[in-house]
Amino acid sequence: MISVTRVHTRVKTQGIGHPWSAKADRLQSATGIMLGCFLLLHMHFESSILLGKEAFYQVVQLLEGGMFSSTGHGFPMVTKVFSVFMLLVVIVHAAVALRRFPAQLGQWRALRSHLGGINHRDTHAWFWQLITGFILFFLVPVHLFTMILNPEIGPHLSAERVYHDNAWLLYALLLPAVVIHAMIGLYRVAVKWGITAQRSGLRKLAKVLIIYLLCLGSASLVAYMFIGSELSVPVQPYVPQ
Amino acid sequence: MSQGRQLTFNIFRYDPQEPNDKPKMVRYQLTETPGMTVFIALNKLREEQDTSLQFDFVCRAGICGSCAMVINGFPTLACRTLTAKYPKGEITLMPLPGFELIGDLSVNTGKFMRELAERLKLWLHPKANDISIHRLEDPMAPEEAARLYELERCVECGVCVSACATKQMRETFVGAVGMMKIARFELDSRDARTAEDFYHVIGNQDGVFGCMTLLGCQDNCPKDLPHMQQIAYLRRKMAMTLV
Repeated sequence: MISVTRVHTRVKTQGIGHPWSAKADRLQSATGIMLGCFLLLHMHFESSILLGKEAFYQVVQLLEGGMFSSTGHGFPMVTKVFSVFMLLVVIVHAAVALRRFPAQLGQWRALRSHLGGINHRDTHAWFWQLITGFILFFLVPVHLFTMILNPEIGPHLSAERVYHDNAWLLYALLLPAVVIHAMIGLYRVAVKWGITAQRSGLRKLAKVLIIYLLCLGSASLVAYMFIGSELSVPVQPYVPQ
Repeated sequence: MSQGRQLTFNIFRYDPQEPNDKPKMVRYQLTETPGMTVFIALNKLREEQDTSLQFDFVCRAGICGSCAMVINGFPTLACRTLTAKYPKGEITLMPLPGFELIGDLSVNTGKFMRELAERLKLWLHPKANDISIHRLEDPMAPEEAARLYELERCVECGVCVSACATKQMRETFVGAVGMMKIARFELDSRDARTAEDFYHVIGNQDGVFGCMTLLGCQDNCPKDLPHMQQIAYLRRKMAMTLV
């Protein structure tokens, strides 16, 4: 009879696990959720221009801490500091998300051939997240640097930036990239950690939010263009009636 | 009975053993019969039109996992795919990507599964006090047995591996089948391995933290295994280990 030797000891697997693997994954999701939720708020704050100059002015004063100043005017420094903070969050997110990029040409070819041969919607959605993520590497820092160097926000000052300083071009490119990236990302992070099993509902919600945010963003961009075209340089800051 | 419609099959043909053979798509025509599956059609084609056609099958009932292939862009089991599903009658068959090609539609999933099992140590590691073969095993709670059995349903067909873009991009990624099996032993109360032990096996870019949640595994698994929940469970579990 053949004897079989079995080793019945506590298994010592090779010590290849490193705490940073888990940390990087948690960081990517946490910064992603932060940025995605911030985008939802940001889009609504900036589109308050659709309710008129007065509404936008009040939103800006509130967010810049106007209630803490004697004049009721907020401090642009708040925008500056917050932009620096968001830049740091973006840098962390980009650094850990880089793990996902097909950095080698062979990986890119494998991905393209997979997308061509296998019919799967979520993989295609990820592909668009990858492309928009790459675009955001270049567009987000430009937007944030503008806000750090020149943090003055207001119905007229923002319109000047959009129309006279030609920032509309940046926003027209940034809007679809960031909305698509963030909404697919929020959907993915929810199913990734098993926050919900309602996948089809979430997917619909992500689609609806993408369309809604694109409409909202485009409409407010057009509104700024109209306001900007009515202003003459040098632009005077808006004064509430 | 009325005459069945004409089906058109576009089948990937390539025999790596033939020195001068080049990969190509070959068209075949076949008359559909009632209840015909892609598996039945392939057998008919081989019997009546081309005896050199290579493909795998054993059970023809979705249990052995041998006949997995890419049918019109979806990796699945040929024996569980009715030709009636395709209103145009056009069916394109490709071998599962990501595996060693034996020839035509036949791939070596067995070699991959064996290497995976050895690498991830996919067998029960008993506790130290369970060494004696004379000792009776403790009874298992029916709920736990049911949970384990649910994950044991995997037939190792390789569909999850082929449906996963992450796996296609990263050769060393363990894929859903690896994680499903790790989860099975993680849930087993008889297994001596701790969360930390499992972390050293799948707590990295090749394991659960390399998964990008593309969910090709979840959407294509012919046995409808709960890959999405299982990987999320492992991710949560592993993210709380080694902190």
